Amino acid sequence: MSEEFNWLEYAEPEESAPELPQRSGRRRILPRLPSLPRPRLPRLPGKPRKPRMPRLPKLALLWRRRGEAALEQPSATDLLGGHDERSLDELDDRLLSLRERSVASSQPSADSRQALYDVDDVLVTPEILEKPGGVISAVALSKAQQQQVELLRDIVGGAPQADEPGGGRLFRSAPVFSLSAVPRVVGTGILLLMASLPFVSSDFSEGELPPSDFAEDRPGPTTVYNLLDNLSADDFVLIGFEYGPTSAGELDPIADLMLRHIVAQRAVPLIVSSNPIAIARAQNIIREINRSVASTELSLERGADYHILRYLPGGSLGLRELSENFADVVRVSAKGELTGLEFASLSEMSLIVLIAEYAEDMRNWAEQVISEADGARLLAATGYAAAPIAQVYADTMDGITGLVVGYRDAYTYGEKLELNFGELPQAQPEVEPALPETAPVSPVERAPATAQPPPTETAIPSATQLTTATPEPTVTSPPTATQLPTATATLETIRIVEVTSPQQVRIRRGPTTADDILQLARAGDSFEVTGANGDGSWYSIALSNGLEGWIAAFLVEERTVTVVEFQSGQASASANLSDERVFLWLESIVSLGKTRPRFYQSDSPVPGDELEYIWMRDRSREVPRLRAMTFGTLAATLLIAVGNVFYALAALRRRGRDAQSE
Amino acid sequence: MGLGSRAGLSAFVAFMVGVVTILSLLLGDNPALFGDQPGSDELARRLALPGDVLLRLVVIVVAVSIVIGIANLLFVHIGRLARRKFISAVLLASFGFTIYWYVTRQGDTSLLEAVQVPIESSLAALLFLSLALGGARVMRKRADIWGMLFVAVALVVLLGSLPLAELAPVKAWSDWLMSAPVSAGARALLLGIALGAVVAGVRALLGQDRAYRAYRG
Repeated sequence: MSEEFNWLEYAEPEESAPELPQRSGRRRILPRLPSLPRPRLPRLPGKPRKPRMPRLPKLALLWRRRGEAALEQPSATDLLGGHDERSLDELDDRLLSLRERSVASSQPSADSRQALYDVDDVLVTPEILEKPGGVISAVALSKAQQQQVELLRDIVGGAPQADEPGGGRLFRSAPVFSLSAVPRVVGTGILLLMASLPFVSSDFSEGELPPSDFAEDRPGPTTVYNLLDNLSADDFVLIGFEYGPTSAGELDPIADLMLRHIVAQRAVPLIVSSNPIAIARAQNIIREINRSVASTELSLERGADYHILRYLPGGSLGLRELSENFADVVRVSAKGELTGLEFASLSEMSLIVLIAEYAEDMRNWAEQVISEADGARLLAATGYAAAPIAQVYADTMDGITGLVVGYRDAYTYGEKLELNFGELPQAQPEVEPALPETAPVSPVERAPATAQPPPTETAIPSATQLTTATPEPTVTSPPTATQLPTATATLETIRIVEVTSPQQVRIRRGPTTADDILQLARAGDSFEVTGANGDGSWYSIALSNGLEGWIAAFLVEERTVTVVEFQSGQASASANLSDERVFLWLESIVSLGKTRPRFYQSDSPVPGDELEYIWMRDRSREVPRLRAMTFGTLAATLLIAVGNVFYALAALRRRGRDAQSE
Repeated sequence: MGLGSRAGLSAFVAFMVGVVTILSLLLGDNPALFGDQPGSDELARRLALPGDVLLRLVVIVVAVSIVIGIANLLFVHIGRLARRKFISAVLLASFGFTIYWYVTRQGDTSLLEAVQVPIESSLAALLFLSLALGGARVMRKRADIWGMLFVAVALVVLLGSLPLAELAPVKAWSDWLMSAPVSAGARALLLGIALGAVVAGVRALLGQDRAYRAYRG
């Protein structure tokens, strides 16, 4: 050991309050690095100094002292050694021994000193210590390590090191702009520009949208959809929300769609999570669903239509608690209220759905939850980042029945949902009830109310005569006339157009192909006609989001729909449409004063029955978002290709030059 | 009792708790191990009880530790506040405001939607830019066969993810990459994780890893 360097003396003096003991009991092998000077911003001339902080009250002083203690991270032994408010006689054996230990460790014994010297002798040779800077200068990276660090820093564009000009200081006087940053700035600009284009104009529509049905070679998503579609009223579905805000952009759509699908079947979701933030996210998604219903009477009611159960701490142990003590877990909601649910075991759940950010969550649920529930089936949804491992779990674990991955599957799920449930309205501003006495019914397009059974065919006026629009959605297709209940009045007759083109058609902002595209429609989609252009080549139609769009006449077929009122006070629109999948009932628009209809599936078209119902989420931004992902990926691909070709050519040129010089 | 014996006692307690939990889970979850003898189910249920109780205790301790963690965070930043750390003042003010908002607005979580979700989503989006720019600079320092292979695989996967009909052949390659090498790597990773978990558990049970002890014995 060199005489010039004593590590104990070299140890950095602590900055903490003098009354607090230093952390002791740990052997320090290497001396601490000297603390860097605190950076200070230059004070502007004439700027007044900061006012002193007001004195803290007594309780705050106690907190402050505790905070300082926590900041220094002393051990319990250290804290005890620093206290002298009690005499040693009052201390029990345990506290006394701890205090003795603290006092002893604050004064290193000869043995410990010798032990540390030995360590220093092993680790630090006299040659090192004799160098300027001693041990610190000796702790250096090898050349290979330096190259690796340089490579990493170069890739991520890291900050310069302390030994570089301007490095190592928090507020270094680096130039505002450097030429070396030009490639990064340009690359970032290209990526942002390309990803933003689809949101600016609908002309940037390269790439195919996801299909409206899942591919046959991927049975997992189809299984997920079908199992949720086969739920019946009062089934209970356990939903695990295991994702945080980081994955909200990717997983919110599929979580929203699954929830709507479940409540559309009048099944009851029980939401649970081992992530406290995910519970709040689930509540917000339910709130979004309720926003698409104008009447609070139709909104989902917590504690009846859905339940959010208490938070499960402990990760996988919390999930085990869920499976082992399910009856206890479901009794308490996330707000600490009693749910009134009585279940004996997880096996009483019709399905278990998991929306997970990480594949690890899937494994935990499969191991801790599914394995404990006899016959339970787990349907999972996850993002692209977790998909490679999640797919392995889905393929190999018995309990996982189906897996939906990423935003594109969510889009297909929404398309499939809309197709099977018909033309569904999206969220729109609340409108006043369309009472028949005050509704702006045109004498040309509206038939007078009569006590005739539906459907009533009415003469179709010419396209140019149509001038008004009504907010009611329109599409219907009664399976058979005998299934219809007795009608009491015909409210109105309206005109609709049904898309007949086998290809997707574009609905534009105006009656020309140069106008912006508002949305796409496919065969079977129907819209209410609100007008037409001069030559009748374009129809003006009412879109479900409240906007007015234009669709080319040769792509659609015009029909008439008669809206009738039935004995139960419910109203329905009916027509002889070719689409037999959908039969939409408009419930109580008039008699109950509801501002927004409920839409039912066609299986049982008798009003008053326990029919399925659903409100569709606003999907108007999904297409631009998919386009943006396509353009962003394309830009990233081009950037990576061009950048690496450039750097590879530069490397070849450099090597050639080096070879010539040798 | 000396300090060394106390450390040994804590290790012994941890070991016994681990063994009891494992045996309880093993025997309690498998009544078939006792055959078809009458009362075997009741015996299995009784054997499962200690493990269940211990695991429920762990869940409670974890829940309490969250509260302790929050309190510790507050103490630390109160201490930093005394040192005039502005960012700690912001944190404490945000903490208080969020509590006030949640209590007075009856559980309204709009702050989560308005603040935390956009910020975390933005940070996740920045990853796209970082990865793309990093991918473009791979060959700058590593212009060798491995760098080329890395870039080529990245390009194939990226092109395969594009929904363009012209890239159908590339998509086939991309699908193969995802289904064969990536899947194989994922399975290997999972095997490694499982083996690591077993080793860590055994080391903790045998007292080799004693994170639970209060001091070095």
